[in-house]
Amino acid sequence: MTVAVRIIPCLDIRAGRVVKGVNFENIIDAGDPVETAERYNAEGADELCFLDIDASYENRSATLSTVEAVASQVFIPLTVGGGVSKLQDIERLLEKGADKVSINTSAILDPSLVGNAAKKFGSQCIVVAVDSKREGEKSYVYTHGGKNKTAFETSAWIKIVEGEGAGEILLTSMDRDGTKIGFDNELTSSIAKDLSIPLITSGGAGSIDHMIEGITDGKADAVLAASIFHQKEITIAAVKDGLASKGIEVRL
Amino acid sequence: MKVGIIDYGASNLYSIDRSLRYLGANTLIIDEPSKLKEVDKLIFPGQGSLGSAMSHLKKIELFEDLRIHLKEKPFLGICLGLQVLFSKSEEGDTQGYGFYKNEISMFPPDLPIKVPHMGWNKVFIKQDHDLFTNIENDTRFYFVHSYLLKDFDEEKSFSTTHHGIEFISSIGDENIFATQFHPEKSGEAGLKFFDNFLKWNP
Repeated sequence: MTVAVRIIPCLDIRAGRVVKGVNFENIIDAGDPVETAERYNAEGADELCFLDIDASYENRSATLSTVEAVASQVFIPLTVGGGVSKLQDIERLLEKGADKVSINTSAILDPSLVGNAAKKFGSQCIVVAVDSKREGEKSYVYTHGGKNKTAFETSAWIKIVEGEGAGEILLTSMDRDGTKIGFDNELTSSIAKDLSIPLITSGGAGSIDHMIEGITDGKADAVLAASIFHQKEITIAAVKDGLASKGIEVRL
Repeated sequence: MKVGIIDYGASNLYSIDRSLRYLGANTLIIDEPSKLKEVDKLIFPGQGSLGSAMSHLKKIELFEDLRIHLKEKPFLGICLGLQVLFSKSEEGDTQGYGFYKNEISMFPPDLPIKVPHMGWNKVFIKQDHDLFTNIENDTRFYFVHSYLLKDFDEEKSFSTTHHGIEFISSIGDENIFATQFHPEKSGEAGLKFFDNFLKWNP
């Protein structure tokens, strides 16, 4: 009898289109953002996450138009990330219909961005995305789409942004991303136990059981996945049925 | 029929505007007192802090005029738009309109829950209301808040929701209805709720 676990499909967008690709050289068109958003909404997505994978100056306006087009047709929470580096970027995205923005690299470069954004727009709309990679017993934060290692250990960094006023953490395991062997539940649960704000787990989902384990073992409040939903390997509705069968609260 | 949406400088009013226009409604953003006369119904959106909302309304000289229209026109308050109807909040020493004396408090700190309360939660409808027409009991709506209304007049409480503790998730009083949840982010259920508001004749 509490708030439902959230299932969040993530869409990569570039120049106003949904794209998918294994790497940056291999990007193929995967459809219209509004149509894709409507399909996920109809399947029961609890939120939508858009990641602008090419947040160049020219494509920024295409992204804003995309956000506006989706927000005019689909009335569930919408998180947008990719290239968010200043308060003005956040303001523009919110004006066009984003409910939350996710900040990643720019938060590392200037952690006060998180605090200033939370003060100006409210914690509820500031998501900090953390890309984490294991190294022996420790995990470190990476930036620039996983290219650059930082000196921050993942747990320490998350405590910093929580203190700055982040409203939510999107934690992606780079070790698991794309592997379809399941989320890094050991990492997620170790973070979740000391965290007062919601945690979204990401990276590695390949089955409905993985989604269930992300909640029961990983202690996450929400699960995010991209490819398994795009490729229609499993539907959001099937994930929710699976979670509900284990007694986990979902919005059916 | 035209619906006015109050602009207090820091809210997601455009999400509400988009939902209403999707349903075919005429809308007007109210950012100065003279515009109040042009609309038939009012929505007070929810997001941001009570203190900054109140001081912005005073700065643009909307605060007192809005108080008069609040008593006359069908009014829907969302989240912060519920809290403004009350006299005091733990969120600073800010005064709302003070129509009701109950206190808006924070979620108790010792509960094993995440705050803000963010996500889809069940709305237990305690009394029928025009705004819940064709909405089933226990339907999930989208919530984002850290403050809540714990106790209120039974006759004016229309639903409750549970997150660690039970709180009042909607209230109604003649031409006033206010929700802690966000219809503009609640998918089909939210659109149904807004459609009921557009048809509402209190």
